[in-house]
Amino acid sequence: MPNVRRLSRRSWLQRTAAGFGALALHDIVQAASSPLVARSPQLPAKAKRVIFLFMSGGPSQPDLFDPKDYIARMHGKTISAPINTNELRVGTDKFLALATQAAVRPRGQSGMMISDLLPHTATIADELCLLRAVHSDNNQHQPAALQFQTGVTAEARPSMGSWISYGIGTENQDLPSFITIHPDSDTRLYGSSFLPAAHQGTKVVMPQSDKDSPIDYLRDVSGDAKTQRARLDFTQRMNRRLLEQSHNDAHMEGMIESMEIAFRMQTATPELVDLSSESEATKQLYGVGNKDCDKNARACLLARRLSEAGVRFVQVTMGGWDHHGDIRNALPKSCAASDQPCAALIKDLKSRGLLEDTLVVWSGEFGRTPWSQDLSGTSPIDKHGREHQPESFCTWMAGGGVKRGFTFGETDDFGFRPVAGKVHLHDLHATILHQLGLDHEQLTWRHLGRDYRLTDVYGNVVKEILA
Amino acid sequence: MCSVASAADYEKDIKPLLKERCVACHGTVKQKGGLRLDAGSLILKGGKHSAVTPGHSDTSGLLQRVLSTDPDEQMPPEGARLTASQIDALRQWIDSGAKVPNNEPVPKSPAEHWSFQPVKRPAIPKSAHTHPIDAFVFGLADAPPATTPRALLRRLHLDLTGLPPTIAEQESALPIDTIIDNLLTRPEYGERWARHWLDVVRYADSNGYERDAEKPFVWRYRDYVINALNNDKPFDRFVIEQIAGDELPDKSLESHIATGFLRLGHWDDEPADPPTDRFDQLDDIVSTTGQAFLGLTIGCARCHDHKFEPLSQRDYYSLVAVFNPLERPRQGRTELTVKIGDTEVYTLKQVAGTLPLTHVLLRGSPSRLGDRVEPASPAILSETAATLAKKSRLGLAQWIASEKNSLTARVIVNRVWQQHFGQGLVSTANDFGLMGAAPSHPELLDWLAHWFVHDAKWSLKKLHRLMLTSRAWQSSSVEQRAKSGESNPAVASPGSSSGSSPYALGSQLYRYRRLEVEAIRDSMLAVSGQLNPKRFGPAMKPSIPAAALEANTDKDKIWKASDEREASRRSIYTFIKRGLVVPMLETLDLADTVSSCPQRQVTTVAPQALTLFNGDFVNEQARHFAARLKREAGDDATKQITLACRLALCREPSSDELTKMRAFLQNEPLEQLCRVILNLNEFVYPE
Repeated sequence: MPNVRRLSRRSWLQRTAAGFGALALHDIVQAASSPLVARSPQLPAKAKRVIFLFMSGGPSQPDLFDPKDYIARMHGKTISAPINTNELRVGTDKFLALATQAAVRPRGQSGMMISDLLPHTATIADELCLLRAVHSDNNQHQPAALQFQTGVTAEARPSMGSWISYGIGTENQDLPSFITIHPDSDTRLYGSSFLPAAHQGTKVVMPQSDKDSPIDYLRDVSGDAKTQRARLDFTQRMNRRLLEQSHNDAHMEGMIESMEIAFRMQTATPELVDLSSESEATKQLYGVGNKDCDKNARACLLARRLSEAGVRFVQVTMGGWDHHGDIRNALPKSCAASDQPCAALIKDLKSRGLLEDTLVVWSGEFGRTPWSQDLSGTSPIDKHGREHQPESFCTWMAGGGVKRGFTFGETDDFGFRPVAGKVHLHDLHATILHQLGLDHEQLTWRHLGRDYRLTDVYGNVVKEILA
Repeated sequence: MCSVASAADYEKDIKPLLKERCVACHGTVKQKGGLRLDAGSLILKGGKHSAVTPGHSDTSGLLQRVLSTDPDEQMPPEGARLTASQIDALRQWIDSGAKVPNNEPVPKSPAEHWSFQPVKRPAIPKSAHTHPIDAFVFGLADAPPATTPRALLRRLHLDLTGLPPTIAEQESALPIDTIIDNLLTRPEYGERWARHWLDVVRYADSNGYERDAEKPFVWRYRDYVINALNNDKPFDRFVIEQIAGDELPDKSLESHIATGFLRLGHWDDEPADPPTDRFDQLDDIVSTTGQAFLGLTIGCARCHDHKFEPLSQRDYYSLVAVFNPLERPRQGRTELTVKIGDTEVYTLKQVAGTLPLTHVLLRGSPSRLGDRVEPASPAILSETAATLAKKSRLGLAQWIASEKNSLTARVIVNRVWQQHFGQGLVSTANDFGLMGAAPSHPELLDWLAHWFVHDAKWSLKKLHRLMLTSRAWQSSSVEQRAKSGESNPAVASPGSSSGSSPYALGSQLYRYRRLEVEAIRDSMLAVSGQLNPKRFGPAMKPSIPAAALEANTDKDKIWKASDEREASRRSIYTFIKRGLVVPMLETLDLADTVSSCPQRQVTTVAPQALTLFNGDFVNEQARHFAARLKREAGDDATKQITLACRLALCREPSSDELTKMRAFLQNEPLEQLCRVILNLNEFVYPE
């Protein structure tokens, strides 16, 4: 069945193009509804936007949130492997228990267990909803990260941010609806695949100095906005015709849309990405200028500014969590690089009244094993690391209508398999969409004769964690 | 015998046990003793010896081995013995008849994987179409119409040379076949297609890492690739020269330069852990060789047998052994070249003195030596273990560049198809293994691979000609889109309808797609009249905005931009610095420089529009373009507009466009019209 809205839009454009000139193109585009126009969600929404703090590499949940007495008792000794030993995992064949080094203690009124390595996160325990039995399907970085972002471990599918942009559009027509700060190099992680290209994540790299722009060529070379607009309108009219001829090729439509956003970004963005307008207190809160965490501090502060300005999905990627060896030395550094910025983001959102309708999610693509890994095969136990563990890991959420100071899910005595409160990645996706007012079974796109979803044929909303 | 309370169940009791303890050695990847225990029918079939005699556990080999106390006999050979209850379950199951389900699927053996089978030439299907590719693609169905001659001309020029047709070429009215032949003889062909190969071999002009120093004279390798393509060097020879050009009986300066391939990877001039770094470098060579020529992700077998492919750690180190006698000439942090006659060549050299022995490294650790290995090709691809006639790089190179392996011809034919059509017959161009995508048209792929080796004698130009003369390639992309209609609402209610393609294999026709950044940049230079045709030699450096340099500690020295004339050379001559990629190239999806890139990613985001609309380069070219129009068309606006459209879009303006552009010029200078034209989607999307 032809789509009514599209047909009317097309005929309107044709009429207008013939008249050529009465209406500025940006008006046409907006009136005829750009792919990014804000849309009412299907269900009552608890959150309007998402900030995803992606801990790339796989943070060690036995060290940070889920230590086990049994492992502590057995430190350095062989434990009976609870997994299929035929599946080769290099350097873990001895199955030596590796005890958590820094203390993990109850925090806040809720008594949520958080490590001394995350002193700032510990202060926001009562804001967090900690999921301790999240699991996914692949133990390699690339497929696991891909599954976290797109729901599948291979191929190219739309990413979570682009599904959300498609589902509810943007609150701010001057900015992309999905911005990803410091993403890993695989563009599938923030791609839109078969969804219209306008929903793709825009990559931003924070400069080290306040005065540089994270986006090249933001400055309008035409001198004034009116002239630039006139020139752009002219270009876009010609592009629209080709689009009609090409029967609405999705990429070309995306190029037209991206030019519109680019124009609007010229005015909106320079101010937005300029952190120098923030107070000293705020900068200090995030740790801007602190050499351990400056990069992530700037990124988190920018994430708040973008979120505040109406960007629907902001992702900040923080790497350095892949501790295969010497985890006792390396983990504290990774924690120091991200702990303060992440906690500051929650505090800052809260003090601005934004936390209520902003859903913040903190997670790696998987966790790490409670037993040690020793790639050399000859190191002493306290120089060992930990192998990847998709079987169970920890994720926290905050704001956006999830319970506060709430710990959900339990793992077995090893901290390996979930025994209660199991949450698959698909369930997490379903829950994030649900909080935004989107039914994960209804948010679909017809491609190659099939309706696709972020959750494919899986996923249940985790009702237990909703406030 | 005691009464059996309830016989053990195969699915519930036996299969999980076998999977847990036996299948690693008796499954799809390994079949010790020829025995597989991963499906009921295979268990009953047995291996070299019978494993199970239904009804008789006492004479069943499986149970005897499980019970044996002889360390040479007992199973499993490692780990805990089976528990009494596990053994009981096996016994019960066998004694009660060893029942297995009838319809249990048998996991496929990797040896049966399609790409490991020899290339055979399938018969061309019955078809109304005389062109073999069309016969495979359309069969008995109708083919879509060819695109217009004008669109086809532009498509051909951009595809083969990366430049739009000149006015003279637009007026020549030659038959399509002649145009194809002519374009294949042009030096610009090599400059366009060499870049595709440079993506595959991770080419860059610097080493990456902290100091990111220039690779001295590495551009000779780039020039070698351009020349090889322009001279239609047979692909098998091209492969051999890059891997072992220095060992050929008829070696030459050129074949030495080709081995620069081995040294193109990123390199840390002051590694924290030198022994590991040494194996990182060998890994770079082995991994790239595997992906580029064989379409195999063999690098994953560095620390352990490949988890997903039938490639063992031994296979990996047997390839390491091939390259182990090489070293990187250097003096401290400074890289040295190899002198061939008077020419400095950027390549590796043989170590002096005794050649190093190669061992399997347990867990990939340089300090833990396993078995010693000799140079060899991967076992899965070889009928016998030692297929390398000569245990040398030349032996490996000759094996790769031959029909003795089933991959090389398929892999290159697929790469060429991908470049012409937009997507390969195998969509994972660097991975033809079990984890890669299955071919969409296996017969066509095999026919092409066989034809390429036997009829075309590894000639890439003949392969281009074959593909470009097919209707599949010449078909109208607009027509395809109109009919296949993958249209969705851009907004509104999620969920929609869409038709299915009327052409059975429509997805393999020419795909509408954006040009690569090099072709965009080169086309702009060609249209503006600024393209500097200077070929070969040291790379040039286009200017980079100051802000992009700001973050570097040595921002004044890190990038000495070339003058405008030099910087107006074709993009393939751009200096690719791993740590500082020219922003325009990076924003518009240049290949990753760290490892082999099978296909450019295509993103569509606002920063690209900013780069193309506000960027210095495009605005400079718009000024030059305007000056050229005034020079060649005089002051008459109609003539200027007409010339602009012909140069940039290869067509006349419509009367409507002419009117509107004239109106635009009432208020705007000509260079602004030029800026608009260079920003048209039509400019970067060959129809």
